[in-house]
Amino acid sequence: MALSSLMAADRPSGTRLTGPLPPKSPHRDARAKSIIFLFQIGGPSQIDLFDPKPELLRRAGEPLPDSILKQISFAQIQEKQPKLMGSPWNFARHGACGADISELLPHTASIVDSLTIVKTLKTDDTNHMFAELMMNTGWRRFGRPSLGSWAVYGLGTESQNLPAFTVLRSGMRPRSKSANYGNGFLPSQYQGTPLRSSGAPLLNLASPAGISDETQRRSVQAISDLNRLRLADTGDPEINARIAAYEIAFRMQSTAPELLDLKQETPSTLAMYGIDNLSTPSFARNCLLARRLVERGVRFVQCFHGDWDHHTGIDNGLPQQCRLTDQASAALIRDLAQRGLLDDTLVVWGGELGRTPVAQKSKKPDVAVGRDHQIEAFTMWFAGGGVKPGQTIGSTNDLGCLPTAESWHVYDLQATLLHALGLDHERLTYRHQGRDFRLTDIHGQVKSELFG
Amino acid sequence: MKHSANTILTHRGGYGSLPRLVGCLCLAISTTSRADDKRPVNYGRDIRPILASRCFGCHGPGKQDAGLRLDDRQGVLAGGDQGAVIVSGNSRRSELIRRVTSTQPDQRMPAKGKRLSPAEILLLQLWIDQGATGMPQRATTSSAAGHWSFQPIRRPALPDVSHSDWPHNTVDHFVLSKLEQRNILPAAEASRATLIRRLYLDLTGLPPAWSRVLQFVADPRPDAYERLVDELLASPRYGERWGRHWLDLARYADSSGYESDQPRQIWAYRDWVIHALNADMPFDRFVTEQLAGDLLPNATRDQHIATGFQCNAMLDPGVRQEAILDRVNTVGAVFLGLTTGCAQCHAHKTDPLTQREFYQLYAFFNAASITKLPLDDSAQPQSAAPQSANTQAKDDPPPATTLVMQHSPQPTHIFIRGDRTQPGERVSAGFPAFLNRSTLRVSAATASASQTGPPKATPLTRIDLAAWLVSPDNPLTARVTVNRVWQRFFGLGLVETESDFGIQTPEPLHSALLDNLAVELRGDPQSSWRGLKPLHRLIVTSATYRQSSTVRPELADIDPGNRLFARQRRLRLEAELIRDVSLSSAGLLCHSLGGPSVFPTQADGILTNRATPATWTTSSGQDRFRRGMYTWNWRLTPHPHWPLFDAPDGVTACTRRVRSNVPVQALTLLNDPSFVEAAQALAARIVSSSAPSDRERIRLLCHTCLSREPSAAEQQLLQTLITHQRQSFTADPQQARLASGNPTGFTGPVSELATWVVASRVVMNLDEFITRE
Repeated sequence: MALSSLMAADRPSGTRLTGPLPPKSPHRDARAKSIIFLFQIGGPSQIDLFDPKPELLRRAGEPLPDSILKQISFAQIQEKQPKLMGSPWNFARHGACGADISELLPHTASIVDSLTIVKTLKTDDTNHMFAELMMNTGWRRFGRPSLGSWAVYGLGTESQNLPAFTVLRSGMRPRSKSANYGNGFLPSQYQGTPLRSSGAPLLNLASPAGISDETQRRSVQAISDLNRLRLADTGDPEINARIAAYEIAFRMQSTAPELLDLKQETPSTLAMYGIDNLSTPSFARNCLLARRLVERGVRFVQCFHGDWDHHTGIDNGLPQQCRLTDQASAALIRDLAQRGLLDDTLVVWGGELGRTPVAQKSKKPDVAVGRDHQIEAFTMWFAGGGVKPGQTIGSTNDLGCLPTAESWHVYDLQATLLHALGLDHERLTYRHQGRDFRLTDIHGQVKSELFG
Repeated sequence: MKHSANTILTHRGGYGSLPRLVGCLCLAISTTSRADDKRPVNYGRDIRPILASRCFGCHGPGKQDAGLRLDDRQGVLAGGDQGAVIVSGNSRRSELIRRVTSTQPDQRMPAKGKRLSPAEILLLQLWIDQGATGMPQRATTSSAAGHWSFQPIRRPALPDVSHSDWPHNTVDHFVLSKLEQRNILPAAEASRATLIRRLYLDLTGLPPAWSRVLQFVADPRPDAYERLVDELLASPRYGERWGRHWLDLARYADSSGYESDQPRQIWAYRDWVIHALNADMPFDRFVTEQLAGDLLPNATRDQHIATGFQCNAMLDPGVRQEAILDRVNTVGAVFLGLTTGCAQCHAHKTDPLTQREFYQLYAFFNAASITKLPLDDSAQPQSAAPQSANTQAKDDPPPATTLVMQHSPQPTHIFIRGDRTQPGERVSAGFPAFLNRSTLRVSAATASASQTGPPKATPLTRIDLAAWLVSPDNPLTARVTVNRVWQRFFGLGLVETESDFGIQTPEPLHSALLDNLAVELRGDPQSSWRGLKPLHRLIVTSATYRQSSTVRPELADIDPGNRLFARQRRLRLEAELIRDVSLSSAGLLCHSLGGPSVFPTQADGILTNRATPATWTTSSGQDRFRRGMYTWNWRLTPHPHWPLFDAPDGVTACTRRVRSNVPVQALTLLNDPSFVEAAQALAARIVSSSAPSDRERIRLLCHTCLSREPSAAEQQLLQTLITHQRQSFTADPQQARLASGNPTGFTGPVSELATWVVASRVVMNLDEFITRE
């Protein structure tokens, strides 16, 4: 391997560069080149944010009818007759599309004409840990590759200088931890690379004192060459992943400081995201980093933020999470749009499940009620990447707990996201234990109405 | 513990079902003739077909809508979330009958499809009126009763093999017979140099000295390999290596976790584990002392310390229950290989564990609390008055203490749907029925004087729990344990789902080998358990273990996951070992064993953004160079190397570490000051050595770091690098001084030292350096 290939440029040019994860052709024309998944851990309350139910206010305190009770599963509520609870927050119609958005999300309301809002997401597990895995790996247990890994496996990456699948975290960690961005049975080079969620996002970007760029380059080249000899002796594909990791790491030393140098951003951009302190990790900083990552050709960015699990104390808890996320989520869409990146970048906002229209009581006298988990219908939003702007898809019943339109099962969502990247979820397979595995197992239907 | 069905039904009927009866509508079919109808109803013939075709779909093994399961006795008797479903002997008071006869669409069952026929309803009524008998027990339903992992362990017959010269011991017969069935030959034995490094890393976690490698390679004695194994099993480093494996299960950490993440002193427990393993403590004692050491007669201080196993749970101030739930789930994962956590909120959906049984396990741990045991030698264990937590004045240096369990009985209630704010029925300690074949009761005989009393009044204690875990009744503890040991040596368990031996896990290909190993550990049912060392010896002296790890492309399609063990497997070293081999190769490693946790160098900013402030005063002297396992572990903000290389977070028992391989790891091994320091120290060793030439120095580097000779191609690559670096460092002495780390006391040319820093750093970054081949 030539030394010069270690210094591959990060922009695709006429000649395709070889690298650890070279770009591959999609199955069909792609609508998006990159995905940014703003994963809201714990299950945001769609009833208080996106799916207003005046009927709940009218019938507040009444028991949930038995006919509905027997169709839904709770995670924690044990009360025989849980009581309906209206949203204490006001909704208004926004934008030309007239979508309803809660007063808790004023910034999201301001970009609503860029979004498709889907109200009928459905998952299979009321337990966070398994619902997270369901959403991210299509399987309610550990061990399967994640959405981002499948995407990178299918498409490689335009950037040979940064991890093709990068993970950013703020607030609480996802409950299934790194399995949410693991490679499962795919080769190791497809796993998500998490940046640090405290202090600097990356440590050890600088070469040690006395080690010049040239010495570092020569050292990494020697490491790669020696590892290749070992690979020839042992045939272990993990060594391939190691070689790839060192070559990306070396390039990251020159590209990542620039990536992470948020001082390059104008004060107005920082203000738009609501970033006061560049050195403090936050969802807002991660949204800005996400934009900078896709700008540099990174294929899949997943920003995990928690925690939205408001079983109790929703009165304070929900507004607090909205304050931490609303402005930056909207800023990301605006920022991508103004830089011409939104057409190629699909942004997804949502969590692993939704919340009930009935109240969950708190046993602590000083803590207010909240809402339990709901898996039959919850809301996510999408923007960019060919998504039809300003539409709402699906609806729920008067009480907001059952779909009254076609469900988007998690498998449908996954099939649709892969579709956006130009990948056919039925053809994107990997042979393991004697059979071809897919992200969507034997399920999944592309929801083409998402796209314009 | 044993209730008649009626007792349970009456009790459960207390909530939920009665108010609904008020609204019960009488049905169209006649019930008047029923009392005269004496024809006997047979569950299997008359009832199960109705339930199976119309009810099990939503209330069966796969799905339990409204928390109700109708396919077995436990499920029917337990009722659903809304209460009892049948009142034995009284169909008119039975919710089941009310539902199938209801005229209200939102009440009537089955919810889907046509209603039950009058004849079917009559059969159900008669069956209930006649006592609702004949339902299968969950433990004796075919799936659970016959499930492979719940069967008693028997020493399996040794399979015949054709290549009878290959096996070294029993392990190999099982492996070879499966290979021969598929016409596969085992891999060749690895080279002696590979074997000694493999053994050193697996048994001690440290690389061998080159002199020891040479000695072993040249050792002509036929039992040279076995002698080496015995030498390593006797090394104090063995207890550290396997102790750290155990600490993964024990979710050991030096702080309490959660947002508050308070520091805690519990290193004495960590040291107890090391010493117990070095002493090869019989495994049943190892389990018993950790679960109930404090309850043993005349418990020693060490036995109290051993109960730290349970104190390792994270502790959220004010939420005691979470730590107890964690203890139950830890027992489930570590000893039973069952995902007990599911039964916290409902009957386990696949395994024969009811929610009630979960809380019976919970009751064992609910009857205990945590206390601090002073470690001052003058303190007597019996007189060690427990100190309540948080009484320590902030400025005093804390006295050496460790956390231990103490008996502290209190009532246990089922948490309805797992919600601790909703206590339900009261339960007492007990064992899951499906693994409790004989009556087991040892607490009256073994408990300390304060525990004894009239046998009937003595509740079961943690001693009984430990006795049950290691009793012949319970085949899971041995099977799960030996499987995990196999997993450590081969990177993959004989049962791949090492923490789930439940119904969903099919019998593995190598179940006979699993039992063969289990017998090795626990002996025949009437004999006693042994320590782990004989088991380790059996495995590592097998021909199976000694195979080369080179990938066999011809098996890529037949056995992509190496489940047949037709070769060894290359395994990236664990986080702590990456540090250990670095320090060891550099000659920096401090070999002290045990003691308070230490604070090696770590990057700035790790402890920021914490709700509770934490400190990190870098240790001085030799404590900077202790093995990785002694690094202080703040759960909330661990040393950055640990999560980066997949060390467990200590939140729950970790039964298997993942082995990630990402660019950020490369950045750390290349640039992190602690790894650079190791390369500098190694370079100083090399240039100070008597090796006269670059060629000899390259050999020394490879001997030290890789335990082998470099190939000609490797020699050449490193020579080219060295020649380049020597030129550039000679031309730039300032860079050379920086790269070499400004060593004091080094008198030779700094450019030479810097050159070898670069070469050392390259070899210390090779995949092979951080891999067990």
